[in-house]
Amino acid sequence: MNNKLKAKDFITVGLFTALLFVVEFACGMLGFIHPYIVAAYVIIIPLVGGIPMMLFYSKTEKFGMLTTMSILLAIIMFVTGMGWLGAPLIIASGIVADLIAKGGNYKSAKKTILSNGVFSLWVCANYFPVIVSASSYRKDLLKGGYSAEYCDNLFRAINSKTAIVLIIACFIFGCLGAYLGEAVVKKHFAKAGIV
Amino acid sequence: MDACVCADKTQLHLDPRTKLFMVFVVSTVVLVTATTPFTVFLRTLITFVPLFLLILEGRALSALGFALMYGVAMFLMHFFISQNSSGIIMALLVGYCGIVVQFMPAMICAWYMVKTTKIGEFMSAMQKMHVPDGITISLAVIMRFFPTIKEEYGAIRDAMRMRGIMLGGGNPGKIIEFRMIPLLFSCVSIGDELSCAAITRGLGANVKRTSTVEIRLTSMDYLVMAGFLLIAIVFIMAKYTEIL
Repeated sequence: MNNKLKAKDFITVGLFTALLFVVEFACGMLGFIHPYIVAAYVIIIPLVGGIPMMLFYSKTEKFGMLTTMSILLAIIMFVTGMGWLGAPLIIASGIVADLIAKGGNYKSAKKTILSNGVFSLWVCANYFPVIVSASSYRKDLLKGGYSAEYCDNLFRAINSKTAIVLIIACFIFGCLGAYLGEAVVKKHFAKAGIV
Repeated sequence: MDACVCADKTQLHLDPRTKLFMVFVVSTVVLVTATTPFTVFLRTLITFVPLFLLILEGRALSALGFALMYGVAMFLMHFFISQNSSGIIMALLVGYCGIVVQFMPAMICAWYMVKTTKIGEFMSAMQKMHVPDGITISLAVIMRFFPTIKEEYGAIRDAMRMRGIMLGGGNPGKIIEFRMIPLLFSCVSIGDELSCAAITRGLGANVKRTSTVEIRLTSMDYLVMAGFLLIAIVFIMAKYTEIL
């Protein structure tokens, strides 16, 4: 089997990136209910995104697929206004996830779950600007018309102290999402003969 | 599959590279929160240019929708919400308006680019900028897929409504499963068809691809780019020197 990504694989990568972004966007819209939900992205997005990700893992199985996807996610995040500060983190998690999955030859269930856990860290990258520039960001938000209550809640949930918790939670729920996604993929797609 | 039926009808048809540049500038500017009236003005200005261009391309209705949404959020943000607002309704409003004001400008600009660029043009522009083929192909697929996902999702919702399934019985797992699985099924098969179609047309072959659409930077393109660059520079200067 040829292990280089071909045009067909890039189309698959694009397709799943679009799906993942739709998941992210749909979950992101919930963020306006309460700032705590913004922090809970690390739980919601990896869990829901696990389903398309697992299908993606079983469909491509070539080195570079996750790296490409992370580059695309970084581009989309930038274009939709989340900034470029998180981009190196997104791409780094993509490369590491790719290497882990390659270690299991893209077949090993354990390595795939681990790999998705690492890949899920791209969600955390979106908090990066909030954490790095916390004080000036807060001032800007207040001047920009946010209420103090919202800011307090936002920064109580996301700051340099909770960052570690968020990252770990993200990783765990990424693994959990992968596990659930694997089950869902088996239940529906293996039966239908798609994977 | 209504992605690119417009274009060519109008005089002003910008080069995809100009649109990319616009997206780049707008995304950079919205990163920085506008605090003074002047920077708010610049932000609004930079939002209304793509809206104006959308109208020129014959998409006045969606432009109006965006303008209304953005306008209402801006209005609420600046006249109703203050540092001291509290309470549940206010909190919801702050969250909603915050998201709209923060992300709408970039969204509108990206929407404008996606809706008014033909895939062929986009590919040829990316090739001219020497972007690796893999990234170009994937990006083109992403651009093309958003309308498809929306369409398929609508079909799934209709089918669910027809069978009287409202939310999946209130079980969050089911709510997601009932929507996600059919969506994945249809998207995967559409993706497979798409790659067959693309490969028969020579995508991924080891030659330099030619394009039937000729893209060229016109004086209008340079004008728009210069304008956006100017706004960006003034914005960043105003922000960091706080003169204005």
